[in-house]
Amino acid sequence: MIRHTLLFLVYELRNTFRNPIWPLFGIVQPVVYLLLFGPLVAGAAGQPISAQLTSFAPGMLVITALFGAIGVGYGMIYELRSGVLERIAVSPAWRPSIVLGRTLRDGVVLMLQSVVVIVIALVMGMRASLPGLAVMVVLIAVTGLFSSGIAYGLALSLRDENGMAQIMQFFALPVMLLSGALLPMTLAPEWMRKVAVFNPMYHPVVAGRALFAGNLTDVSIPIAFAVMLVLAALTVTWSVRSLRRIAG
Amino acid sequence: MIIDAHGLRKTFTTRSRKGTQTVEAVRGVDLEVGKGEIFGVLGPNGAGKTTTIRMLATLITPDSGTATVAGHDLLKAPGAVRRNLGYVSQAGGVEEATTPRAQIVMAAKIHSVPDPAGATADVLARFDLTEIADRPGRTLSGGQKRRVAIALGLVHSPPLLFLDEPTTGLDPQNRANLWDRIRQLRELGTSVLLSTHYLDEADALCDRLVIVDHGLVVAEGTPGELKREVADDVVTLRLDEPERAAETLKPYARETRVDDDVLRVYVDDGEHTLPTLLRALQEQRLALSSIALDRATLDDVFLAKTGRSLRDTGAAA
Repeated sequence: MIRHTLLFLVYELRNTFRNPIWPLFGIVQPVVYLLLFGPLVAGAAGQPISAQLTSFAPGMLVITALFGAIGVGYGMIYELRSGVLERIAVSPAWRPSIVLGRTLRDGVVLMLQSVVVIVIALVMGMRASLPGLAVMVVLIAVTGLFSSGIAYGLALSLRDENGMAQIMQFFALPVMLLSGALLPMTLAPEWMRKVAVFNPMYHPVVAGRALFAGNLTDVSIPIAFAVMLVLAALTVTWSVRSLRRIAG
Repeated sequence: MIIDAHGLRKTFTTRSRKGTQTVEAVRGVDLEVGKGEIFGVLGPNGAGKTTTIRMLATLITPDSGTATVAGHDLLKAPGAVRRNLGYVSQAGGVEEATTPRAQIVMAAKIHSVPDPAGATADVLARFDLTEIADRPGRTLSGGQKRRVAIALGLVHSPPLLFLDEPTTGLDPQNRANLWDRIRQLRELGTSVLLSTHYLDEADALCDRLVIVDHGLVVAEGTPGELKREVADDVVTLRLDEPERAAETLKPYARETRVDDDVLRVYVDDGEHTLPTLLRALQEQRLALSSIALDRATLDDVFLAKTGRSLRDTGAAA
């Protein structure tokens, strides 16, 4: 079981890094936000960019996780169409390992992407707590398991690029805005703050701000880990089950 | 017996705004495939070939029926069946971004082959793929991809290989090349179950075959047996009054069949019967516009069993 999962993980990682242009593409969006939106937020708040980045950068990591999932969902649909999944399904591979190996790959890729985004933010002058940064990278990996789980579950259920694109487009923007990744929810009216709590992506953003600021005992951190671990377990289980449905 | 299947059935239900639709893809198929045989499943598109293969390959669970595949019960021990199976789907499952070698080594590892690199080198050499083994999949031609797909299914030396429409979309040279390679499998003792909608392919490759239509087996046997059952030869005539001609020629034929202005007369020993037929037509003053004498093909078998020509079902398109 573990052998097969590791086998798929290593194989997929090797495939991903044979052509690292795609994981680099995945951080274009958050990096553009860092460079071109971060200064605006700082200006609006009347703060220097170096101070503002401590609260702005964590949201960019969550956005990396959110939009990275769209790409891996498309990858899964391609594997369905090309018969790759079907071929692997008629092998002695432990069924969940087929999805688990890919999900774990996404977690690893996301951790590396996070490190790159953090380094860019540090270069821009961000000051942040080092242990906080390390814990945040782990939290983002768990967040990535959750979003990949959704992407694979959707891909395997819909089996169609167009349906996938529409659903992703429909949810991605409100989820991003309601997470407070771009502008913190402290600026939001009462009703929006109440709605935001039900947005899973809100929690890693809030926890990330506490972590970067060095408030390592903040209650938002265990909440974010708990929410993400539970949701990741649920969505990964769903994606594994969806695979069973297409391949017996 | 490498495959022993009885009463396999599968009905698909699709839900849409127009309501629920059910498609009886396979309606009770029996298959008995001997060890070392190349066994064909011939039929038009939508006949249930792929569904049958996918059931036997553990990809879909049959609604009813039983099967023993490669010595294991399909429903009770699908894992054991998978260990003894090679499966090459219509899509092929060759990855675009990865090299054939990397993909085949991975397949070997999943199957716990003792020496994955060695087994991969062997199967690459057998399929003349060594030179292109380290190029990304997307740079390969259709025929090369097809061979990689089969190599992927064979690297663990399974006793049984499933090929779902192996030559669809290939040009004539690549088809002939692939046929030779499939024949070589017989020499190595690998049993092959292949589906096809090409009559010549079934005829050229298969030791035995079933003809399926609308989810049912309509005929079973060796290509020779099946054709002999219909007749040795077919005389195809075009003329103005095919019905009257059919009446005239009936005494000399095993069977006659009229489609529009075409009359098919099934006869044994066509070379010697042909003059007799011509004389009979002349006596009845039936004017011919053309006449042809051919060996009976599997299409004639299909026509005899289903009343339709496989060529007319859109399968050849």
